[in-house]
Amino acid sequence: MLAVLNRSLLLIGLSLYTAFAASPFIWAAMMSLRTTTEIHRNHFALPNPPHWDKFADAWFNANYGVYFLNSTQIVLTAVAILTIAGSMAAHCLARYRFRLNRTIYFILFSTIIFPPQITIISLYQILVQYGLYNSKLGLTLVYVAIQLPLTIYILESFFARIPADLFDAARMDGYSDWEIFWRVSLPIAVPAVATTVILNFILLWNEFLYAVVLITQEDNRTLPLGIQRFIGDTQEDVGMIATGLMIAIVPVIVVYAFFSERLIQGMTAGAVK
Amino acid sequence: MAVVTLDRLSKRYDGGKENAVHEVSLTIADGELMVFLGPSGCGKTTTLRMIAGLESITSGVLSIDGRIVNPVPAKDRDIAMVFQSYALYPHMSVKDNLAFGLKRRSVDRAEIDRRVTDVAATLGLSELLARRPFALSGGQRQRVALGRAIVRDPKVFLFDEPLSNLDAALRASTRQELARLHQRLQATMIYVTHDQVEAMTLGDRICVMNGGRVAQVGTPIEVYQRPANLFVARFLGAPPMNVLKLPIEGQGDARAMRINGAVVPLEAFAPEALAVLGPEALLGFRPETARLKREDGAGVVLDGEARLVERLGAETIVTLALPNGTEVLVRAPGDTALAMGEKAPLSIAAGDLYLFDPVTGEAVARR
Amino acid sequence: MPAGKNLDRSDGIRQPVGTIIAFLLPALTIYVAFTAYPAIRTFWNSFHIVLPRREEFIGLANYIELAKDDIFWKAVRNTITWACMSPLVEVSVGLILALALYAKVPGSRFFRVAWFTPVLMSYIVIGILWLWIYNYDWGPINAGLRALGLGFMTRAWLGEPATALFSLIFVTSWMWVGFNMVVLLAALHSLPKEVIEAAELDNCGWGAKLVFVIFPLVRATVLNLIVLSFIGKMKIFDLVWITTKGNPLWATETVSTYVYKRAFEWTTFDLGYPSTIAAVWFVIVLVAVLGLTWAFRSRERLEY
Repeated sequence: MLAVLNRSLLLIGLSLYTAFAASPFIWAAMMSLRTTTEIHRNHFALPNPPHWDKFADAWFNANYGVYFLNSTQIVLTAVAILTIAGSMAAHCLARYRFRLNRTIYFILFSTIIFPPQITIISLYQILVQYGLYNSKLGLTLVYVAIQLPLTIYILESFFARIPADLFDAARMDGYSDWEIFWRVSLPIAVPAVATTVILNFILLWNEFLYAVVLITQEDNRTLPLGIQRFIGDTQEDVGMIATGLMIAIVPVIVVYAFFSERLIQGMTAGAVK
Repeated sequence: MAVVTLDRLSKRYDGGKENAVHEVSLTIADGELMVFLGPSGCGKTTTLRMIAGLESITSGVLSIDGRIVNPVPAKDRDIAMVFQSYALYPHMSVKDNLAFGLKRRSVDRAEIDRRVTDVAATLGLSELLARRPFALSGGQRQRVALGRAIVRDPKVFLFDEPLSNLDAALRASTRQELARLHQRLQATMIYVTHDQVEAMTLGDRICVMNGGRVAQVGTPIEVYQRPANLFVARFLGAPPMNVLKLPIEGQGDARAMRINGAVVPLEAFAPEALAVLGPEALLGFRPETARLKREDGAGVVLDGEARLVERLGAETIVTLALPNGTEVLVRAPGDTALAMGEKAPLSIAAGDLYLFDPVTGEAVARR
Repeated sequence: MPAGKNLDRSDGIRQPVGTIIAFLLPALTIYVAFTAYPAIRTFWNSFHIVLPRREEFIGLANYIELAKDDIFWKAVRNTITWACMSPLVEVSVGLILALALYAKVPGSRFFRVAWFTPVLMSYIVIGILWLWIYNYDWGPINAGLRALGLGFMTRAWLGEPATALFSLIFVTSWMWVGFNMVVLLAALHSLPKEVIEAAELDNCGWGAKLVFVIFPLVRATVLNLIVLSFIGKMKIFDLVWITTKGNPLWATETVSTYVYKRAFEWTTFDLGYPSTIAAVWFVIVLVAVLGLTWAFRSRERLEY
């Protein structure tokens, strides 16, 4: 009897916490479907009627469409390059023994604790110098650089666990080093690669600091930048910002809905000791 | 020491379609070492865990020393368990591992030290007291697990396949140590294993289990020489008992079985038991009771052909093909001069024959 | 055998140099160009005045000025306060939630997925949401307080120097508790079941099991999470930029926001001074992380 009471109390407590964790998003979702006037009349009412046209309005008139496409282009390109370059490097570090191997691995790995300020000022200088400032290409390359250490870390530990026998067998079958990578390592590592793809997508989709330093032109703004532009105006168009937030959140929710387990594991990789 | 009584103990898991353990009834005498023997999944470990209090009991009554312990939590049953994986506390030294249970029971510090030192000395752990489990070998860890149980001085000792993680040589010597330990402590012990050698050498009695039910309970010799059913007959003994399915001919006292001309009289068996059998029955005999010679006065004499001869030095295992095509195994002396393909006779004494009901698997009673 | 030079491993097997370089080249090129070289250049900058069209070597002048910079030290204090408070809150609450789910509450799979959601969101989204939540006039916090008759407790949470920083710390805690919970839940599930059963037979109730068995065995993960959280807060920028930008009166100024302001929003265009801040901060973070890791190192291997 006491056990049942305990369990119910626990459930109530946990449900309250869930409300605490989720309510800001639900509130934003509701506001995204109401006009700013409606919102200022009553901040917590349900959308009545729900104004779905606000999304089209935000997309075209407030330029969220441009921001969304920029983000998509930059992030997908960066993730693609990350996957190829990262898996090649991880495969090499995991499978080949040479004197600089652990040094390179350690340097890459320790970069994860660097505060971004140590590179950002010089990056600004460098990109300006090479005409890559304010360009999507410049930001894409920087995005690859900042996610390389984590990507290589996750993939290297996975590649290292593949039994050496598989590689020996492939070598005896006459495969070249590149073929071994392409036909043996990569196919086996698909789960880990998928994890890094999803992880990089989420982290770069949300990235703000490098974007705000390296992009100032309206046409090249990524989604986080675009949203930020509307904050700080004295006349805040709350309704429209809420709609913009939804546009930014939806891809993340979609990825999370399909890949929640993989995403959780990717983001918490290495934290369990 | 204690008497443990299981009265129709059953266990069904949530969402399970049938009982994992079904109506097991058993009384374990004070100071007895009872072995639960059976294949994987037969319910022996589940039964042990119910006795320990680590699994809830779905129905039935469990008593220790006359006291019903169904609602009593594991820690209050005065039971100690040696787990298959040893379950040592990885972050504690050997000494702390041994002392932990006593500290938790507020035993006096001096008493704890005394018991730990004694047990460590008995098990040869005195030099290892400061070490952590990761720095111990498998055999050493097993002894610490054992020590942890002994130090508690419980009413009942439970063992869950304690030797299965050891290598073969260590297994044999540890098995003997356990036998000596039981003699010295005279404690009630319940021992789970799937290995019949352990069961036969350690057990005062063996409870053979299959499919969640008790197949037979008896002393090692009883379950070996007088198996109650086909399962027990085939589970004990290596190589296993040879079993042939044969039709029964004749009526009344003249009932007999026939193997291609050779007659197997069934006079040794009780007529009432024979009467309930159908047209067929299962005939069994153990490989070591058959002789590769023609013996007059034997229960049955057959002609066979040696299909395979495996020489092991101390004995020879011969796979013999009978006239009707079935193959049986025979344990012959090491110097048996037999070649593959050679013909050989087979004699089995009437008293070494077993008969089983093909439908129920029950053994047919002797006269 | 492929042509070209090979390296000898310690066991005498040859390693193909050309292939190794080919595999590492793309990643290392990008790394060197966009991470290693910029980092070195920032250190170089710190000894110069760096203006759009000229640079002048000034030795340690920037460093000396930094030592006297009150705003910098205020930013350092804010950031370190954040980096010390956050881990304590996030990891302990995360542990409590993980233990609740570990106790096999129904719906634990749903809770786990739901509580992890804030971790996935951009700081921008989170920042804007909480700007609204903390809004003095109509935000749910103040509105709720007024509805409960506690109107005297309403504050301009992000507007008052006394409450601004802690309001932001609360936001990051809200966000990251889910992360710590998920990691700790995985750690709890990886504990050997039989050891916990042995503890039960050794007369341990729930409390004793936690203290004597569970906590010691998850200690390594807990410490790891504390270090991760610490590192994350030492770098924080996005959340501050979108909510308070360091206001009011430098109450929420962090080192990262200060660097940004000195580099891109200051009266002078000198990039040398902010580079100095970045260099010094880099060393501080490195020393702090190494110190924490050393302090938390485990003296033994816990194999199970």
